[in-house]
Amino acid sequence: MDVLLNLLPHLLNGVSLGLLFALIALGFMLIVGVMEVINLAHGSLFALGAYVAITLMGWKLSYAAAFLLAPLLVGAFGMLLELCLRRTYGKDPLYGLLLTFGAALVIEELIRVLWGSNEKQLPVPEMFSGATLVGGLLYAKYRMFACAAAVGLILLLWLFLEKTPYGAMIKAGAHDSEMVRALGINLPRLRLAVFALGTALAAVAGIVLAPIWGVRPHMGVDAVVPAFLIIVLGGVGSFWGAVLAGILVGIVVGLTGAYASEWSLLSMYLLLIALVTFRARGLFGKKTALEN
Amino acid sequence: MQGNRRKLLQMLAAGAAFYGPWKVNRAWAQAGQKKPLVIGLTMDASGQYGASGMDERLGAMLAIREFNQKGGVLGRQIEALHMDTETTPATGSRVAERMITRNDAAFLIGAVHSGVANAISQVAQKYGCVFFNTNSSSPTEAGRDCHRVKFVWDGNGTNFAHAIVKNAMRASGRNWLLLTNDYVWGHNTSKATRTLVEANGGKIVDELMVPQNTRDFTSYLLKIQQIKPNVIAAAVGGDDIKALRQQVVQTKLDKSFAWINNQQDWPDVYGLGPDAVFGVFGTTWYYRLDLPGVKDFVARYQKTYPGIQIAVPGNVFYNGYVATRELLRCVEEAGSTNNLAVIKKLEGRKMSAADRMQHHDAWIDASTHQVQQTIYMASYNDKPAEKDDIFRIQAQVAPQDVVDQGAPAACKLESYAATPSYEQ
Repeated sequence: MDVLLNLLPHLLNGVSLGLLFALIALGFMLIVGVMEVINLAHGSLFALGAYVAITLMGWKLSYAAAFLLAPLLVGAFGMLLELCLRRTYGKDPLYGLLLTFGAALVIEELIRVLWGSNEKQLPVPEMFSGATLVGGLLYAKYRMFACAAAVGLILLLWLFLEKTPYGAMIKAGAHDSEMVRALGINLPRLRLAVFALGTALAAVAGIVLAPIWGVRPHMGVDAVVPAFLIIVLGGVGSFWGAVLAGILVGIVVGLTGAYASEWSLLSMYLLLIALVTFRARGLFGKKTALEN
Repeated sequence: MQGNRRKLLQMLAAGAAFYGPWKVNRAWAQAGQKKPLVIGLTMDASGQYGASGMDERLGAMLAIREFNQKGGVLGRQIEALHMDTETTPATGSRVAERMITRNDAAFLIGAVHSGVANAISQVAQKYGCVFFNTNSSSPTEAGRDCHRVKFVWDGNGTNFAHAIVKNAMRASGRNWLLLTNDYVWGHNTSKATRTLVEANGGKIVDELMVPQNTRDFTSYLLKIQQIKPNVIAAAVGGDDIKALRQQVVQTKLDKSFAWINNQQDWPDVYGLGPDAVFGVFGTTWYYRLDLPGVKDFVARYQKTYPGIQIAVPGNVFYNGYVATRELLRCVEEAGSTNNLAVIKKLEGRKMSAADRMQHHDAWIDASTHQVQQTIYMASYNDKPAEKDDIFRIQAQVAPQDVVDQGAPAACKLESYAATPSYEQ
């Protein structure tokens, strides 16, 4: 019983961490799905979200206003990036990969030029600052807010994709973009919108995680690697696969952090190797023609 | 047409191969100038210690600039060549190799990460190029991993542990938890802390390893609350300690436990806000030490780097500056850039407290090549004289009292004969 009681806070912590990982991964997955491009700039856009929010709050805007406005601005920036990407569609995927890799470097350097290399702070809203007792242990209130925000955003995204005609178009585009074009849907505009949505999600995740991780130009690297891993783990293209994989990664990282701390970062990669060894397409990935 | 173009390209290549270097040499000869002295700055600009790497680079650059304004060294202007070592040992090796073999670097300066410092020093020793480890603090740097060409300028984990542990045990209790960055500096610093705690009757209740680049410390903080130690001794550095400090403040655990950070580098705490400066920590220098020369040094920093984000210099910048300055002085005194001549000037070298703007005289231990210097214990300053005055220096400890006694036995310097002669 004592073991379970000791374990419980770490399990809960793992779930909350996993939800935040899933939030980062979902934006990444939308872009991979519709654009068929692995957006290596996703992490830099994640960082850009945090920096833009800092600037907006520096202009005396509230956290809530920055939370809403910064993703819109970063989403607009994402649209510019998508315009650059257009020439790579239908060509060797390496072109898209190289372009987004270059964009990641440019954005990171841009951040250094505009905001400097040193650590920045995104202030925590007063109502979420401090800690609260959960089962006799102190837990940061902001961490709870971050977890709730991740759940809320994941549900909103799911509702958007499942219950709106735009969501249906995005899913169709991810399934077969040429067929979507043949049905009369403006594919370039769809791609533009999806890229903006994906980058806005990265920006939101950056804002939510900024007070926890701290804000520095290369913080995106810390986000993009787990995001990539979660998508593979969950099965490329699977919404709930990404969410479940995120939670799984969070729990594994959280538990190893507490009980075998030197393995905590490595644990997510071991999880990936273990799962892919037995189920190469990930948790909810669909079988390919070759597997049938 | 094809043949003509190929021929033209061949001619251009041959011309470039011949004319390129000759042109450079001729330019020096015509100007009556000597070949510039190239100093390779092997400093991180990215990764866990990117911020500190940039800070120590500014320190080295200021020293070089001041020497160049006086006419350089041995009549040669000094050129600083910087390459990002990326807080990665493999990159450190590659950069060192390149600087020595392709860029004719006479000396190498810079390192914050002890793994990177060790990697650079292995390459430097292979060629005989003198290397200054400016800011990496693993006791192994002047112990197991020492080299004839390497000189270690920062206080190490053992020095800081000596300065802090006894007082902290007296003030806060005997049950200690070690929070250790999982690499050479963290391991060896925590090992030194463990030895001292146990030697003084204390107990290490647990040691939590923190992998490099950890951003979320929640599971560690939950575990700490479950264990309930009296003191948490952190050997966590760079961006990791920034994230840790923020999360400790968010959970208010700074109020629940006594925190000790073996060494707190200035770029890792500057700008985090007053709340994040909790606990007791070690440092080798502070910009408001009431000593001659300090104010002038701060003014020179601010004049040279106006509008810089870190408005006042800290320990990392200071180490970069004093190390580079001392190297150039030794070259001047030796009258040569020959490595063995410079090494002999450095070994056992005495440096006055006034010159180094510290409370006690310092010296370079000839058997380990580590600078033995004043260690300061500091905490948050709740009565700051100005915005940046965030440290309160609680005590200054003489170098004799914090010597790493185990280092001379662990350090086996290569003989002079086994060190290649190197001169640029």
